[in-house]
Amino acid sequence: MTPAPASKPRKPKDLMSRIPAGFVRAVLRGHSSLGLAFAALIYLICLSGSIAVFAHEFQRWESAAAPQVTAVTPDAVQTAFEGAIARGGPGVEHVYITLPSADFPRLLLYVDAAEDRQYLADAKGQIVEGSAFAWTEFITRLHINLHLPQMWGGFLVGLIGVALLSSLISGILAHPRIFRDAFHLRLGGSKRLQEADLHNRLGVWALPFHILISLTGAFLGLTTIIVGVLGMAMFNGDVNKVYALFIPAPPVDDPRAAPVLDLRPMFAKLPQDGGRIEYVFTEHPTEMGGAALFNVKHPDRLAGTDSYAFRRDATIYNEKQAATNNLGEDILAASGTLHFGWFGGGIVKIVYFALGLGLTYLAASGVNIWLARRRDKGRPAPSWERAWAATVWGQPAGIAAAAVAALVADAIVPTIATWLAVSLVFLAATIRLPAERLSRIGSVATGALILIAAATHLALRGGIGAADGMAWIVNAALIAGGLFLILWARRRSVAAAKPAPVAAAA
Amino acid sequence: MDDSSALLPALLIAAGAGAGAWLLRRSWQRKDQKHGLVLGGWLLIAASLIWPAWVLGAARGVFVALALISTASLIVVASNYTVRQAKARAARESLAPEPSDRATTRWRETLRWLLAGPIGMIAAMGVGIAYAALVPGEQQTRLVVGGMIVPVAWGACMAWTLADNRILRATAVLVGVAIVSFTAAIVKGFA
Repeated sequence: MTPAPASKPRKPKDLMSRIPAGFVRAVLRGHSSLGLAFAALIYLICLSGSIAVFAHEFQRWESAAAPQVTAVTPDAVQTAFEGAIARGGPGVEHVYITLPSADFPRLLLYVDAAEDRQYLADAKGQIVEGSAFAWTEFITRLHINLHLPQMWGGFLVGLIGVALLSSLISGILAHPRIFRDAFHLRLGGSKRLQEADLHNRLGVWALPFHILISLTGAFLGLTTIIVGVLGMAMFNGDVNKVYALFIPAPPVDDPRAAPVLDLRPMFAKLPQDGGRIEYVFTEHPTEMGGAALFNVKHPDRLAGTDSYAFRRDATIYNEKQAATNNLGEDILAASGTLHFGWFGGGIVKIVYFALGLGLTYLAASGVNIWLARRRDKGRPAPSWERAWAATVWGQPAGIAAAAVAALVADAIVPTIATWLAVSLVFLAATIRLPAERLSRIGSVATGALILIAAATHLALRGGIGAADGMAWIVNAALIAGGLFLILWARRRSVAAAKPAPVAAAA
Repeated sequence: MDDSSALLPALLIAAGAGAGAWLLRRSWQRKDQKHGLVLGGWLLIAASLIWPAWVLGAARGVFVALALISTASLIVVASNYTVRQAKARAARESLAPEPSDRATTRWRETLRWLLAGPIGMIAAMGVGIAYAALVPGEQQTRLVVGGMIVPVAWGACMAWTLADNRILRATAVLVGVAIVSFTAAIVKGFA
């Protein structure tokens, strides 16, 4: 009797490889359906969010000629406050004052009146020209509510956050080799395989960032509806009881007319404990029931903002130190900062921008894979290919055109109209142009429009003598980005013109 | 006082995480699972995640590191790309899994999207609100964590209902979860 040959011990399968093939295919179907249903909106929200990371830098760029303010005295804030109310017209309900910081060296006042307006002031508190932020408003509102009514737009963006989160879950489950192949990046050859490698590598290595962004985005977008349902289910429909757990109670209403609120004695009562005053929110500043809420930020903390609420007579009626926050208050206070990448200075913003563009590409490449799979299987979908090329390139071109319009018109409505018009032109072009040509034209158009935006800025907003050096940095980045897109399109044209190599049969 | 500058720590985090990813890649490339390389790689990445907490602030430092570790690792992966030659073999022979080709009807697809959308949302809200009502702890923490559960649970519902072929099972589970969780939350109340 011969002994049985010693069998080589089998290497245990890793956890992901044990997922049954049928389950993988079913999840892949769901991943594909979800991605295709929401791809365009995910793409637009991720693209606009990546740009909105630099909202403060764009505000500085738009107000490049305005005086740089590094510090202000309470007297200067009071002067600016009174000046803004005097110019704000009748019916002033609130004035929000943003104090200067290293990130945003401006004294900015937003007046909520019959017609909302915002003003910049110099270090002495005198109101100055140059407070048009149409482009920044356009890009941040596009990201936050898609320029739809706040409640519906916010809900839709929250829903997209949920869809993105769901795609991350199904994406991991649908790709059992995603961790094992984590270092494979093979370019060239089949378009589908190249796109799949890029899609999966970006998906796995930036997964913590993707989860963070989609979770905080969904949470912020859905807050209104979650609080509404919570209020209905547990507070007899009174949502204010939910909000009251997180924000100070409003002051007692007293609509009798009064002189403008005096903020100086309130400044004097704030503790000198190393914090920096970030914002002052004033309510009914020309009524007897006027009040002011001061936010004081402590360094190196994500949720390190103390708040002090004052009555008109400068007595404190509510104060809350961040050091006493519980976990829930800390999470809530940190969500927005973490979502937008506003917690680590320029380097973290650049990283957020790069990872955000990666997430944008993830949305685009998902559809590219689906289109390439159809083509490989002999079932191409040329009309969808054209529509997707028009979406992928129509949006950056539209956003760049909106920047030009904002700089010229100084108003939000023409800015939105321009973005919409360019987006529609790209969609209309799908009738005549094939996808590859649309992509090349889109790349050149986006690059050219970015260059025009930089040129328009130099011509209309401070030019060579701009007071703020940030304007130069933004213009240099725009010129580099614009040239890159044009040269990249040119390179693609040259590559497309070359005859395809004859593939050797295996 | 402003936040401390993250520039120099960021460079150190990126260098540490990049080195960690490079060690992991070396191990992956050798196919012989050298435990030293794997251990060293993960240790470097873990250290890059933790030490910034002391320099940049407890939560702030960790989140700065999280963003930079992803970026540094992607740079390591991108800088080691390979160029693949086009093959004559039809891509339809690809070994990659294909989405299932399940037979369906219009009403099943409608129900599937209703489950992924509004019904999933209601069930997820029920879970989040039940958490806020039933779990002990500070009121604000329960509300915020409950609120955070909603998108996660809804996202999981979407992933499940769009994948599961047994759609009636998904319907029964989601409706059941919604009824039980809302009932439990309303009966218990918020205190």
